Amino acid sequence: MNAAIDPITRSVIQHRLGAIAVEMGESMLRTSYSQILNSSRDFSVAICDVQARLVAQADHIPVHVGALPWAVRAVEARFAEVAPGDVVLLNDPDHGGSHLPDLTVFVPVFGGGTRRFWTVVRAHQSDIGGSTHGAYNPRATEIWQEGLRIPPLKLYEAGRLRDDLLDMLALNTRNGRDFRGDLAATVGAAHLGERRMRALFGEFGGPVVAEAVEEIFAAAEQQTRAIVSTWADGVFRGEAVLDDDGHGREDIRIVATVTKRGSDVEVDLSASDPQTTSFVNSSHANMQAAVVMAFAYLIDPDIPKNAGALRPLTVVARPGTIVWAESGRPVTLCTSHPSNEIVEAVVKALAQSCPDRAMAGWGRRFRISLQGEDPRNGRRFIWHLFHARPGGGASPGGDGWSSIGEWHSVGGLKFGSVEVAEVRFPLHFRTHEFLPGTGGDGRHRGGVGVALDLVVETDGPALANTAGDGARHGACGLLGGKDGAPHDYRLVPAGRPERTLRTKEAGIEVGPGDLFRIRSGGGGGWGPPEERAPEARARDRLEGLVADDAPAADGAR
Amino acid sequence: MGPLRIGIDVGGTFTDLVAVDDDGRAIFAKSPSTPADQSLGVMAGLSDLAARLGATLPAMLARTGRIVHGTTVATNALLERKGARVALLTTQGHRDVLEMREGLKGDRYDLRSPPPRPLVPRQRRFGIRERLRPDGSVLTPLDAASLEAAVAAVATSGAESVAVCYLHAYRNPAHEIATVEALRRALPDVFVSRSSDVLPQIKEYERVSTTVVNAYVGPAVRLYLTNLERRLSEAGLAGSLFIILSHGGMAPVEEAWRLAAATVLSGPAGGIAGARRCAQLLGIPDLVPFDMGGTSTDISLIAGGAAALSAERGLAGERIALRSLDIASIAAGGGSVAWIDSGGTLRVGPESAGAVPGPACYGRGGEAAAVTDANLVLGYLDAARFAGGRHPLDRPAAEAAIDRLGERLGLGRDATAAGIHRLINLKMADGIRLMTLRRGVDPRRSALLSFGGAAGLHAVEVARELEIARVIVPTVASVLSAWGMLASDLRYEVSRTHIGEAGALDDARLRAIFAGLEAAAAARLGSWFDGPIRIERSAEMRYGEQIFEIDVPLDDVAWEAPGLSGRVHEAFHRRHEALYTYASRDQEVVFVNARAAAVGAVAPHGEAAPAGSPVRAGAGSRRRAFLGSWREVPVHPVEALSPGAVHEGPAIFEADTTTVLIGEGDRARVNALGWLDIRLRDAPGAPPA
Repeated sequence: MNAAIDPITRSVIQHRLGAIAVEMGESMLRTSYSQILNSSRDFSVAICDVQARLVAQADHIPVHVGALPWAVRAVEARFAEVAPGDVVLLNDPDHGGSHLPDLTVFVPVFGGGTRRFWTVVRAHQSDIGGSTHGAYNPRATEIWQEGLRIPPLKLYEAGRLRDDLLDMLALNTRNGRDFRGDLAATVGAAHLGERRMRALFGEFGGPVVAEAVEEIFAAAEQQTRAIVSTWADGVFRGEAVLDDDGHGREDIRIVATVTKRGSDVEVDLSASDPQTTSFVNSSHANMQAAVVMAFAYLIDPDIPKNAGALRPLTVVARPGTIVWAESGRPVTLCTSHPSNEIVEAVVKALAQSCPDRAMAGWGRRFRISLQGEDPRNGRRFIWHLFHARPGGGASPGGDGWSSIGEWHSVGGLKFGSVEVAEVRFPLHFRTHEFLPGTGGDGRHRGGVGVALDLVVETDGPALANTAGDGARHGACGLLGGKDGAPHDYRLVPAGRPERTLRTKEAGIEVGPGDLFRIRSGGGGGWGPPEERAPEARARDRLEGLVADDAPAADGAR
Repeated sequence: MGPLRIGIDVGGTFTDLVAVDDDGRAIFAKSPSTPADQSLGVMAGLSDLAARLGATLPAMLARTGRIVHGTTVATNALLERKGARVALLTTQGHRDVLEMREGLKGDRYDLRSPPPRPLVPRQRRFGIRERLRPDGSVLTPLDAASLEAAVAAVATSGAESVAVCYLHAYRNPAHEIATVEALRRALPDVFVSRSSDVLPQIKEYERVSTTVVNAYVGPAVRLYLTNLERRLSEAGLAGSLFIILSHGGMAPVEEAWRLAAATVLSGPAGGIAGARRCAQLLGIPDLVPFDMGGTSTDISLIAGGAAALSAERGLAGERIALRSLDIASIAAGGGSVAWIDSGGTLRVGPESAGAVPGPACYGRGGEAAAVTDANLVLGYLDAARFAGGRHPLDRPAAEAAIDRLGERLGLGRDATAAGIHRLINLKMADGIRLMTLRRGVDPRRSALLSFGGAAGLHAVEVARELEIARVIVPTVASVLSAWGMLASDLRYEVSRTHIGEAGALDDARLRAIFAGLEAAAAARLGSWFDGPIRIERSAEMRYGEQIFEIDVPLDDVAWEAPGLSGRVHEAFHRRHEALYTYASRDQEVVFVNARAAAVGAVAPHGEAAPAGSPVRAGAGSRRRAFLGSWREVPVHPVEALSPGAVHEGPAIFEADTTTVLIGEGDRARVNALGWLDIRLRDAPGAPPA
């Protein structure tokens, strides 16, 4: 059909596409097997077209979403022929993956004999092989030490599961049973999306749906441009600094030079520091996703996150830098760091262009994974720290959220029940409570972090890894607001002196009765502290959210 | 005349009452609701009911055996944030569980909204030195000095209500009980809620939030119910007063205020009770009740004749993990406003024109085009006869509002209005689809039950979207709730967390766990009910690493024969398969919560259901309506419908409180009660008749 489709049909199709993505996510949440997916919700879904354009998504983990089109691009490049019933799988950063633990499943959607779309589900695996459990390997100097690399491959061919291939994949992870359960759920969610898309074709016909998608893109583009054009023109610079790479290099800078002209925004990350030898490098897809994430936070929340909304945005970067490492470099930490710092640099730059939209820094990620044996049942366990979430950044709209997480997940990761954790793991949560004084001071205060005292109740030695950043640099304050307090994690071994944990350590020996003394950082403050309302300060004191001797964090400890 | 049973449903606008005698004869009354003190409207309604019976209020109450009541006191206290000043006692080092909300935030891309304020601010949350291990053993004994200091702090905080929630108290309530005793001694007037009583289940956020909600609404519910009970008794009530709970069962007054958090859906539960009775009466086991009002639409499920329950609910942003009827509310109704976003896309809702100014056609100054305006422009509503002619609509105002939108879209008036009608239907269909997906139910096998003033114009098209073949429209929907309540059972549930591998539970252990719960539930119910008691068992189970448990009904599992454990496993696998398309029989199964409900079935009353008024001669008319094109469509006054008559679509049916539209090829049969039983054309999901 040549004429533009009518606006009602377009509205109906746009509504349907969004609803399909929501349904896929709901199915994923309810069928996945491992804690990291069904409790912590570390997955995302999308519908992309065969030109690798993001058509619809559901609000899950923002850092996944902008990366998915690059993965679709890799699938399209790899397979000239795709048949109904095929299911494609990948994780490799050279093929549109962000990092190895994020496994992505693609199901092609055919309408009237033509392949038009892909339903896509990306899910973070609790293990993907490699030389340490849990995928995060601070010692890695090359990607092969981080886990199994999966280029685009067909897990199903014309509806038939290649179970030999599945056996090989499952065998190369430490918990093959979880891997199989999660993969079944991921494929199931993608299939559900495909069924719904076919029903949509059945009702409107493939060409009408395709035409509607073009118009949906155009509408989102128009919405975004209307907002961007109200921002001040100019060339703005923002910089964020990573603590270190864990291999001895400190203060690694991410630099965003943002040019805003009319309704266009160009983000140039070329001036960022060179790549490192460790897993704090970003993959290309992840870098793209981080910039998209920053941009999405600054436009209006209800604009559909699709390829049209992103048309005003251009991303420039240079291979060999921290934001786009060369092939073969380790990258596992990148979805956390430097993702958070890329967002920070872009938001800091654009805060000069749209100060009434820019928000202060959300906390940085500092994870611990622990493996050992549960003396109550003799079973091996792997536990990931999701508790002690850092504070969120303050914004023009008010104070930041406390204990809410990082810029890359913004309240999308659930930490789960302390009671359930104590039943399932040999851990004792002595304290898990807000940590006063950690939110950055400002006209609006950053959210506070958490004090967690965690006792390890194994009988024998256990092993811990850390992966993260933010023990030296707290979440950034904005427009005069102060930085949030940085993280301070310590290990207090039973009967021995305590020591500060670094953010990138492997093979930490943990003995029975040892205590993790975890103090997570707060969010950044927004606006000058002297503009904070007296009643807001009074409430902070009443609620005990500020330390006795200081109004709020000023970025130093 | 024999003894009476009375049902009372307090809605936002009207209080509906029904009295049924032993012969099943029903009398109805309606009186304006009185939100400030609902008992005034209730007493006024009762007087009206007595007058209709030709009796005085005392005479009527003297022969009333039972009053069943759905109340919105807790609902309103929570929605309007007008509950009690609450203090919270927690395990030391864990006083922020309530405010952390498990680290979750909605609206992922909205980073400029400040966090919600918890029901208990931090300065009224007190940590107590005590700690249990996950197996319920004591790690740190309850510290007397710490408790004493907290009780003193509660006193000075001015709290009217206290919630107590300690870690692992679901396993061992001793510390919580000792704390409650200390509070009662020091502060006898304060309302006290303890987590091991309100929700003795693992997961501290759900438990603390539910207990806090209980503490927050408890004092208001207690005040209202004890006052109402006193007024009724002073007015001569001989029988007892029962309150409908959110799970659809009913409980005596004292039980209802003790577990006040379980009454937040008491009102809507009445509607579902009505839907359930309709399912029985019509012999349709699977129904999707669809209640569309001015600002929102409530959707629930009746499957196999029973209403679906869920523990994953909340209200007003507060988590309430008690099992309650599964009602999904979508922000879409007759007042939903159509608008064009900055990308030029037509959207409908979630903004509502409300009652004031209301849709443009209300003529109260509203400029925005609402769904009702579209329905008027399309000829589905009669401007002069809206609401029985009491509130005529302003058609030119509606046309002007639609035209303003149409100009910006480049569409004519008819196409714009039809688009609004289509989009709102789609939105509601999506809501039903998501709801049914979550429950593992295929909507195509159900019939849609349309009630609520705005539902009739949309129910058939919503059903068509969902490939639902049949739509039922009771023409007397407004009194269905009060009538349905009378068929509710008495119900008391007890649950216990027994988290562990299901494989480790042998037959004897399983029977022992449930036997304790069954005895406790039956004893509690037996203290206020002397009829026969039935036990219903269920378990919450999941695969090893999953976090979401599923509710597995065990009523069909043979309990005494050997092999019980295997049958319970199999019941779980089958339920999982039904919900999520697969079962993993080789994987470890975890048994989380055991639950027993004692159910006291009250005598079923007669089959008389609220029927439309007796047939009276009424002239059908015709009017022009837009159904893809403008057509002359027959309009039937509902009070003139003859049972057994079949009307071919397109057609419009008009009653005082609702208007029903059926399309080309649809057939509406008038059943014996005067209700419409609509079969959709070409419905592929049509169940065998």
